[in-house]
Amino acid sequence: MKVKIIIAICASLVVLIIGIALGSVNIPPGEILAIIRYRLTGVEFAESINNSTAIVWNIRLPRALLAFIAGSALSVSGAVMQSVLRNPLASSFTLGVSSGASLGAGIVILLGVTLPVAALFTLPLLGFAFGIGTIFLVVAFASRVDSQMDNNTIILTGMIFSLFVNAITTLMSALARQHIQQLVLWQMGSFSMRGWEAIYILAPVAVAGVIFITHFNRELDMMTFGEQQAKSMGVNLKRVKWILLVSSAALTGSAIAFVGVIGFIDLFAPHIVRRIFGSSHRYVIPLSALFGGTFMVICDLVARTIIAPRDLPVGAVTALLGAPFFAYIYFSKRAKKAQAR
Amino acid sequence: MLTLKNVSVGYTGEDVVKNVTFSVARNENLSIIGPNGCGKTTLLKAVANLMPFKGEIEVSGKPVHKMSHREVTLKIALLSQLSGIYFSYSVFDTVMMGRYLHIKDKFLGLPSEEDRAIVLKTLEAMDLSKEKDRSITTLSGGQLQRVFLARTLVQEPEIILLDEPTNHLDLKYQIELIEFLKQWAQHGNRTVIGVLHDINLAMKLSDNILVMKDGEIQVHGKVSAVVSDTLLKQVYDIDVARYMRESLKIWEDLRP
Repeated sequence: MKVKIIIAICASLVVLIIGIALGSVNIPPGEILAIIRYRLTGVEFAESINNSTAIVWNIRLPRALLAFIAGSALSVSGAVMQSVLRNPLASSFTLGVSSGASLGAGIVILLGVTLPVAALFTLPLLGFAFGIGTIFLVVAFASRVDSQMDNNTIILTGMIFSLFVNAITTLMSALARQHIQQLVLWQMGSFSMRGWEAIYILAPVAVAGVIFITHFNRELDMMTFGEQQAKSMGVNLKRVKWILLVSSAALTGSAIAFVGVIGFIDLFAPHIVRRIFGSSHRYVIPLSALFGGTFMVICDLVARTIIAPRDLPVGAVTALLGAPFFAYIYFSKRAKKAQAR
Repeated sequence: MLTLKNVSVGYTGEDVVKNVTFSVARNENLSIIGPNGCGKTTLLKAVANLMPFKGEIEVSGKPVHKMSHREVTLKIALLSQLSGIYFSYSVFDTVMMGRYLHIKDKFLGLPSEEDRAIVLKTLEAMDLSKEKDRSITTLSGGQLQRVFLARTLVQEPEIILLDEPTNHLDLKYQIELIEFLKQWAQHGNRTVIGVLHDINLAMKLSDNILVMKDGEIQVHGKVSAVVSDTLLKQVYDIDVARYMRESLKIWEDLRP
């Protein structure tokens, strides 16, 4: 296990460096490391690489880091939802986070609403607030109609709220057609032009979220066996469920608030991690963060280089690359097992 | 040790267990039998604090509703019937989950040497030592049942509730399991309450029996004092005793 983890961390760092190195101008890894060292410690570098400093520090590095952090947050959130709801297809999106965030974005883009104090952050703030607000309503509603908070009740409530909130966004779009393209582009997801400001906000949320959720690794393990089994082993199910659903929604909400709706990664990243490292959440949570982040850097690299200088929507690339990869990992192992029998 | 007073339990307003009153002493084993749907499993779930109930349940004289879920779980553990397995864990890790409330490292939940020793000892008792690193998704139904029983035992409760513990087990393991549970209860000064479909195994597990039908207690007491041909016929709507005697005759004829 230790060897596997070390290989995963090294692979992740290599991908991050490649993600920064490639683009309209290719920058050698040595230069990238020298620039990062200069910005962090003040150690001078050769004059010849001075030209790359702005590209690396102001554009590529924040973009790659943002992709990594958003991928991590979304994947961890997916892992939690799958285990808490005991449904391999569950994600924050099942419970209406993306619908809520889209409504928040719709209010900003279509109606031109601006927050007086933080105009620049109006879109991410409202996106986050509506995303997490929706899931809060879903869980509160489910808890009210079913005091035991059965998983099926939560999933069904999530679907009802999602459809309802989506309908409001669609109605708003129909009434304000001139801005519809902007909303659609936001919904497709992108990491361009976000800068360091987004990272300063998102990184602490993501790091704290991953550590906080890892703390609940044993409860998550037990919940995969079913609610009654977890409860009969001593898990305070209702409290833990509330905490985990809301904290994973906060992770998703804060990620999509800055980068738009990027789906699929939260579904497949935890499954790949479970296949390689087993199901124990002590590993699944941090390694989903590592794998999801790394995969998102690859997706963003593909999105911005494959038909450069145009950017493809990252949300589409995650599914285009992820679906075949997921099918290969998941079904090839299953086929090998069947043959072995 | 455990006392139920006028306990009713139900789903969506309809009582499945109706006004049940009985008590079980420390060191006493009790088998609960009855036809499908008579409320046996529901009753166990209420005792394990997994379902809301009306009436009063007391453990060592203290009402369950005045205890925290943690307190109840430290005293009462339930082995439920098998349900689907969606994720893969090793046998050792699965059994270790039973130590949840005992593990002192609350941040990452890393087990102590004592926790590991208890799990290894229980795995040995359940004949699972060789399988400890195997994934539970590759086990047979019988092996899985023993894994979950081991997980319930390492909780070290005072009262253990077993819902069909011999399901999926072959005859050897059924008999060994019943013998193991009797010894486990006797040596640890604990109580075993088992819901069993097999009347023979029920009688083997305990001297005391509780027979249920339509959510109500028909009889409760020593097997020799309360079980009769008429009672079983009335509860199961079939002549159970005649069937048993006919089976016995087949065995007699098979004698070398």
